[in-house]
Amino acid sequence: MRVWGGATVHAATFENVNKIYKSGLFRRRGLTAVDNVSLTIPHGSVFGLLGPNRAGKTTLVKLLLNLARPSRGAVTRLGEAATVRASLNRVGYMHENHAFPKYLSASEVLHFCGGLSGIPTDQVAGKSAYWLERVGLADRAHEPISRFSKGMVQRLGLAQAMLNDPEFLILDEPTEGLDLLGRQLLRDIVQELKAASKTVLLVSHVLPEVQELCTELAVIVAGRVAYRGKLTELTSNRTGLEAALKAIYVKGTA
Amino acid sequence: MVNLSEAIRTIRWMVRDTFRQSISTKLFWVMLGITAVCSLFAASLRITGDISTYEGVAYTLPKDEADKVGGAAKVIDDGVQIKNGELSLGFGVIRTKLAKSKDDAVKFVQVWLAGVVGDSLGVLLALLWTAGFLPTFLEPQSATVILAKSPPRWAILTGKYLGVVGFVSLQAVVFVFGTWLGLGVATNVWDLTYWLAVPLLVINFAIFYAVSAFIAVATRSTIAAAFGTLLFWILCWTVNYTHHALLATPVEGLGQGAGFLMEVGYWFLPKPLDLGGLFFDAIGAQGYFGEMPEMAKIKAGGHFYPQASVVASCVFAVTTVGLASYEFEQTDY
Repeated sequence: MRVWGGATVHAATFENVNKIYKSGLFRRRGLTAVDNVSLTIPHGSVFGLLGPNRAGKTTLVKLLLNLARPSRGAVTRLGEAATVRASLNRVGYMHENHAFPKYLSASEVLHFCGGLSGIPTDQVAGKSAYWLERVGLADRAHEPISRFSKGMVQRLGLAQAMLNDPEFLILDEPTEGLDLLGRQLLRDIVQELKAASKTVLLVSHVLPEVQELCTELAVIVAGRVAYRGKLTELTSNRTGLEAALKAIYVKGTA
Repeated sequence: MVNLSEAIRTIRWMVRDTFRQSISTKLFWVMLGITAVCSLFAASLRITGDISTYEGVAYTLPKDEADKVGGAAKVIDDGVQIKNGELSLGFGVIRTKLAKSKDDAVKFVQVWLAGVVGDSLGVLLALLWTAGFLPTFLEPQSATVILAKSPPRWAILTGKYLGVVGFVSLQAVVFVFGTWLGLGVATNVWDLTYWLAVPLLVINFAIFYAVSAFIAVATRSTIAAAFGTLLFWILCWTVNYTHHALLATPVEGLGQGAGFLMEVGYWFLPKPLDLGGLFFDAIGAQGYFGEMPEMAKIKAGGHFYPQASVVASCVFAVTTVGLASYEFEQTDY
């Protein structure tokens, strides 16, 4: 956590948050994706968000990014209400299924994203070149994305997320489609952010990755927080993370 | 609070992105191709001869023709107009006798190009072809990356809307310039009023594309945006026509309530018929195409308010884009 002006500021907080997706012709049907979640993500942590499929993890990420609005409760990001868009300039976001416009090249995507993120024009080119080099796409910078494999699109997704030097990086299933080198690159970047006391929120099913990178985690089951604590606490009973998580999943859905 | 510089920057980026999108979908080149064909058509126009007046030359007209202009004696005294010109299209493939003067022949082709090809077919085709731009962009997998950045959603949507309108405006300018140049080079008639077609085509498109944008935001469906806009255009045309028809020929027994509703519907909805009428007036088309009798009647009766009609249609478009932005702000991704 960070203390500004005497007040404790977390990277993110969820306070009694509910999210019900309405559907149907008259929006009468409702699906509860998040149910009364209260959670804090401390500044400078690498925070893991785990849970079975359809547990509500991605919905929490969307609420945090103001891509969706809570049906009830309050969400803050970097000390401000999640609805305040200005702080999104300090956030990087990468998800598992990026679909960048196929008519753009990798370089054009980064210029476009950099422009929208408010990066000064004279800095966008340099930052784009740096990140394309870093994610291994420098030699394909001017090719249309339509020729890219899924792994290459994921690498580009990582580059766009890092372009604005984020204070808070949100990774939603980031290794989906990445090869071994791509995964290693991602791990390196997260470690660098950790060393720089920046915050990373990692939503993942890949347990070795979570074990290697995360310091704290929360487990979401059926839209609720089933566990919140240090990774070391969860694995201290020598059963291993996988067994501990299975137990939480079963208990949470029971 | 609105950060104006950020909004402007966002709109600029979205406009630029829309142009890239239009070029990639080949729509840009298809529309330019159509313009090239129309310009070639215009450049293929050839006019030989003209209407000439020969003073003092005795010329025998059919009696009924001479009577129409005051009798044979008067025709001889005044001089006789002899139609001795020929108009050809397709570099001489299609030939016809010149019905009026050279300037009139050029005007006729201009009216046909701008009125039929541009204002009717062109605008409807542009609405259909560009209907997919927003739904594609609004697909969650593509949109979330942009929506997770700081620019306000209304600026993103407005930028996309202005980008499409800007793209169609560019196409309209190229179309009018190409055909104007073709006609000018072919006939040496350089009629500047033809350029009035540009703002009228753009306004017409912008009004209905606002509806397309709203449907796209609400449904994220290209088919719904395309056909919804087309149906809406038909509805507006029908209300516009019925309003004028009822004004021109009042129907007995029609209650005050129905009349009031028609008046409200007319002023609330866009008025494509009025825009078309205004466009025809602006480029002087009335002498070449028969005016709709209902329109002529309400004009004669002083019931046609073109400026108010255009302003009301534009207010509708701005309101619709505003509503689309509001809907976009409320949408979960």
